[in-house]
Amino acid sequence: MATLAVTLLFVSLLVFLVVRVLPGDPALVIVGTEGSPEAVERIRKALGLDRPLVVQYVEWVGHALQGDLGRSIQYDVPVAGLVVSRLSVTLPLTVMAAVFMALVAIPVGVYAATHQRRWGDYAVMALSQLGVAVPAFWAGLLLVLLFAVHLGWFKSGGFDGWGQGVGQGLKALLLPAVALGLFQFAVLARTTRSAMLEVLREEYVKTARAKGLAEGRVLFRHVLRNAMIPILTVAGIQLGQLMAGSIVLESVFYLPGLGRLAIGAISARDLPVVQGVVLFVASVIVTINVAVDILYGVLDPRIRYE
Amino acid sequence: MTMATRIFTAVLMVTLGLGLGTPGAHAQSAPGTLVVQVSTEPPGLDLTTSPASAIAGVVFDNVQEGLIKIDRTGKMIPWLAERWYTTDSKNYTFFLRKGVRFHNGREMKAADVKFALDRAVNPETKHPYRTQYDAIQDVIVKDDYTITVALKKVDATFLYTLARQGSIIYPREAVDSLKTQPLGTGPFTVAEWVRGDRIVLTKNKDYWVKGRPHLDRVVYRFIADPNAAIAALKAGDIDVSAFGIGPESVDELKKDARFQVIVGDTTNDVTLSMNNSRKPFTDKRVRLAVTHAINKDEVLKGAMFGYGKVLGSNVDPLNPFFVDVSKRVAYDPAKAKKLLTEAGYPNGFDVTFRVAPQYYYTVRSAEVITSQFAKVGIRAKIDQIEWPTWLSQVFCLAPCQNPDYEMSIIGHAEAWDIGNFANPKYYFRWDNADFQKLYAESQVTVDDKKRKELYVKMQQMLADEAPAVWLYMHPRLVVAKKGVTGIWKDLPLPVLDLSEVAWQK
Repeated sequence: MATLAVTLLFVSLLVFLVVRVLPGDPALVIVGTEGSPEAVERIRKALGLDRPLVVQYVEWVGHALQGDLGRSIQYDVPVAGLVVSRLSVTLPLTVMAAVFMALVAIPVGVYAATHQRRWGDYAVMALSQLGVAVPAFWAGLLLVLLFAVHLGWFKSGGFDGWGQGVGQGLKALLLPAVALGLFQFAVLARTTRSAMLEVLREEYVKTARAKGLAEGRVLFRHVLRNAMIPILTVAGIQLGQLMAGSIVLESVFYLPGLGRLAIGAISARDLPVVQGVVLFVASVIVTINVAVDILYGVLDPRIRYE
Repeated sequence: MTMATRIFTAVLMVTLGLGLGTPGAHAQSAPGTLVVQVSTEPPGLDLTTSPASAIAGVVFDNVQEGLIKIDRTGKMIPWLAERWYTTDSKNYTFFLRKGVRFHNGREMKAADVKFALDRAVNPETKHPYRTQYDAIQDVIVKDDYTITVALKKVDATFLYTLARQGSIIYPREAVDSLKTQPLGTGPFTVAEWVRGDRIVLTKNKDYWVKGRPHLDRVVYRFIADPNAAIAALKAGDIDVSAFGIGPESVDELKKDARFQVIVGDTTNDVTLSMNNSRKPFTDKRVRLAVTHAINKDEVLKGAMFGYGKVLGSNVDPLNPFFVDVSKRVAYDPAKAKKLLTEAGYPNGFDVTFRVAPQYYYTVRSAEVITSQFAKVGIRAKIDQIEWPTWLSQVFCLAPCQNPDYEMSIIGHAEAWDIGNFANPKYYFRWDNADFQKLYAESQVTVDDKKRKELYVKMQQMLADEAPAVWLYMHPRLVVAKKGVTGIWKDLPLPVLDLSEVAWQK
């Protein structure tokens, strides 16, 4: 818990300083090329940007702790509300991508481990590397070209909201999720494979087989379960990377997600939004790591936290 | 084979086999609906506090209108003001149209016009174009439909100012909601703004111009990525791409029978700026050498795929006072080398372009020019920077004191912006008293013939003094599904007027 708090405090300080070090501030972006110096100064004052940095930081953190992330300069709506509404796109997208990734990676890893050093193992591992070499945006564009432009089965992008029905929403996220997660299975597959191989060497596996258990039961009830710890660790890291990758996919599929919000906010120097989004994503990642740590304890009774 | 590999191979094979040209099933919009793609989401919807052209694209002439309107040919026509007169060019009396209702049902009155103008003049309002209203001394309401504006001095641009996006008329009681729910007299109302995704406009059934608009509903979708925009167009998910298509896509789309491509003129002058306060650009010979070294036709071909028009000065062909001065300082690399030697740079010099890739035509233009410069000994590098950095360091908005750049390229989109060269503090940092005198005179010369003479002199002076190099006028590129009619060909000012747009039956 303490590590969580310290990490987040550090992140908040970092993001606060970084956006202010960049040349240009929201007043410049608002005024643009038509402005006079007085207009810039007036807007700067109205936004509270002329106050000392310490004051601005303390005020922001103080409000953030109460759940108030400030107001977006571009949109003039609360940042927290913006983050939540964008999350309703990015979260399902990331989860779907993670599911696709795991759905491919784990069976592939298991297959490779059980066919070690045979043709299947090598082929599968080589193809997984090919998958990782495919950039997400290229995969996305290819999928759009095929399934939206050519076949017309899907829309080319956009997200009309969950109000149109869960089915419609999932359909809108399907292509981007496939592009994001499907090709990323390599690392997780390799981890599954090596973790499985380690466990397969254990004595109790030989015993289970000798007992006469079906191979499937051996694999999934005994081997995989015990191999889960390293698999989960990597999965947790990959989830973070998926979130990062969603930024690019959101541009290709023009989805109103967290990533596009962040990019737009950086270009417009919408400081409250940039700070809010970074802080939020950092919290999520830290929380995922904590959750994974707790899961260790569930999976392996030998690992327990006091 | 794993499922993933199967899918991947299938996709690869299908794409390679079938090619990309075969049209697929279209998604059809509901009849009476138009889906428009724009690349930038407007930062709020208030034309009176932000100059962003993204706002004008949605709100101007669609939701809110002014006393005078600029039509698609660039002509000023009476709009919310039925007519006006002046005897001395200092006092203008406007007669407002009767029976025009705002979107909240109330009739427009002279008091609303006074409110809007007073607010524009007031420095507290942060009106982005406040200086354009500087000449206004007083706004007097004579009766509900008659209003007089008294100017401090003659201002030749006054009527034009009333036609610009900052002069739209709105109900005074709705001033606080201008940013999120602007009300006006226009053919559409703002029905919905889903931030990050779309803005929806719906038909104003009580619009004062009978028979307009033809559309029931307009959906603006924000798609920044040009590839995604083309894909959306081809998939039929959008009907019009108004400001997002690059010249690289135009030729391909022209060949597609489903679409029409509109190529027109704009007021966007793509300008190569030189920091006149820094060596070697303090020397006019060097600036002229730079101009002689550039083959503008080649730049147009290389950067804009041949679309656009070469310029010689800071006035574009849509301007009634335009005169073609592009041959005054013609492409002549030998002359360029000679001038450089005279100025003391026989071996050329090194220079860095600072450009913002957000406006990709600037990067492309810089690349073409770099290779042209090499022939005369100018060794150029290109430094790509973010837009806010450009605003802060090149354009030098406060607190910047001195612009930090040698050369840059950007499109100056405002119509009638030759006055920037009369401002010694503008990022060109060119200070020429003769030019400033000419410009000041043109601002108070109401007679069109005399004013044109002054403009011709200014354009010639700019070409001869070369404080910058005017490369080309950026073309207007619009792609729309066949069947969409009424879109403007030229863009005499930043606007996307949809009042006459319709689907052909």
